[in-house]
Amino acid sequence: MRALGLLILAIVPALAGEGSETRYSLSVTDEGEFATGLRVPGADNGNLLLVEPSFAYKSGDRWRFATSLAGVTQTQGDTHARVRVKETYLDVTLGDVDFTVGKRILRWGTGYAFTATGILDPPRMATDPTDRLSLYQGREMVKADWVEGKHDITVAWASAGVLDTRRPGVYDTTALRYNVLAAGFDTSVIVAHQGGGANFAGANFTRVIGTAVELHGEFAWREAAAVLFGGKYTTASGITTIAEFYTTPDTAYFRSPGLPASAGRQHYGYVRIAKSRVRERPGWKEWDVAASWVANLNDGSHVAVFDAGRRFGNHFYTYGHAQAPAGKHRGSEYGAIPYSALTSIGVTFQL
Amino acid sequence: MSNQLVFLLLAGAAGAAAATISNIDAQALLKQSDMERNGSESYVVRVKIRNYEAGKTDEEHLYGVSQKGIEKTHVEFLSPREKGRFLLMLGDDMWIYLPDTSRPVRITPLERLAGDASNGDIARTNYAYDYDAVYLRTEEAAGVPCHVLELNAKRKGSTYHRIVYWVRVSDARPVKADFFLTSGKHIKSATFDEYREDGGRTRLVRMTIYDQIRKNSHSVLDYSNYEAKELPDKLFHQGRVDRF
Repeated sequence: MRALGLLILAIVPALAGEGSETRYSLSVTDEGEFATGLRVPGADNGNLLLVEPSFAYKSGDRWRFATSLAGVTQTQGDTHARVRVKETYLDVTLGDVDFTVGKRILRWGTGYAFTATGILDPPRMATDPTDRLSLYQGREMVKADWVEGKHDITVAWASAGVLDTRRPGVYDTTALRYNVLAAGFDTSVIVAHQGGGANFAGANFTRVIGTAVELHGEFAWREAAAVLFGGKYTTASGITTIAEFYTTPDTAYFRSPGLPASAGRQHYGYVRIAKSRVRERPGWKEWDVAASWVANLNDGSHVAVFDAGRRFGNHFYTYGHAQAPAGKHRGSEYGAIPYSALTSIGVTFQL
Repeated sequence: MSNQLVFLLLAGAAGAAAATISNIDAQALLKQSDMERNGSESYVVRVKIRNYEAGKTDEEHLYGVSQKGIEKTHVEFLSPREKGRFLLMLGDDMWIYLPDTSRPVRITPLERLAGDASNGDIARTNYAYDYDAVYLRTEEAAGVPCHVLELNAKRKGSTYHRIVYWVRVSDARPVKADFFLTSGKHIKSATFDEYREDGGRTRLVRMTIYDQIRKNSHSVLDYSNYEAKELPDKLFHQGRVDRF
């Protein structure tokens, strides 16, 4: 952390110049959570305090430095505090090529709750696909982007962990992505080589049809095939429904951590219905509500998730989040989650 | 004789009026009104939106809008709760970048219709690109003689299905508008309240949008820090949307 601070202090003045811009934000969240029907020993309630500052500096169109941190203090019986570096990177533009060095979050997958092609993406949780507490961390990488018209070619080398602690299931990865917008299809083709000798190939797309429908899909091959199809439909009143189907092979790379090695090919379903700003009901203009459901179609286990939030003025947001898993306690992916319901209530201040 | 003369004069006047209306190129008028409103084809501007409920301000939003030509718009969300979000429109294709998903998410045209002032109200201001114009009539609005145009959506990316648009007879400056959904529902109205001359061109600096569903709700949009500017094409690419 001290090294990071020194790095920021060293870089920012060096970059100061004409046409410079800065962006900063600070978010402080306090969340209490309690579990019901807890089936393992331990505290059934806890508290989380998050302090998340971010800072970005841009000098003309040539340089950009950005950093985003998260201070996490968690109390669940004991209290633990730590700082996470979510992102810290330097972008440099030379001619038509943008270079990035540092820790950066990339999301190449087009799926909402699942992804097959997001080889450099943070691990996605179908029960929290938007990372509601913004705790995703990037990968340490060197990346080059070449953009010409509707074409974008990216070459990236991402470390399994140089400064950061090595995470399980994360490999040194060299990846190439070609992205193009053609006939309304936002399409990417991705090839990669990972440490340990495994090769990866995949493609994904998104396409909007008419004024209300979006379709997306992903296909990936790494020892075996993983496939995702999904769509989104928005009504005239602003209710958005997202549905996805995802199938993964029985390989260590694609297998969910909650499943045994012999589980075989898995099939998943996901549905989310959400409305931002319930303007139609008097007094509910500031409310956002969402309900989602994720299921393992093989073992029949599933999780229902409910989210509601309300804005207060320009800086405060209060929210509630609840998830209720169901299924066999032994031998099912979501039924093995050791509680019958987990409820979180929090307040966020944003500057 | 005198009756015949009066009839002939009236018929002549009606014929002249009809000829004048048929001579008015509604689409050209719409293009001219876009220039009156936006000032330049390529520019950056800050837009501050204050939402009012029952006469009291209840929310503020700040946006940095970069417009290049008629097809490319990049919007940076700058208010505290929305920092880190970006909206990109390339013709009919739209993406929103949310910091919590860390990628540009493809959105449908209907997803832009949120709030008293929707994203489309901020980012989609070249009506001649989005709508076919038909001349309706001439009438007074806000104390000035106006041409009244009916605008019908010609692209799926158009924010509204139909707009009735009042533009000043003298210079095609927008005066007011009524916005309708595909269902025919009158969803919003707008008044174009204040313009400023800058470098020999006028541009809009304040407009008000009235919610026709929730009648006690309206939004005031203030445009500031306007700068005519050549913008690089690279800014308008979905893969680079978060590089402010």
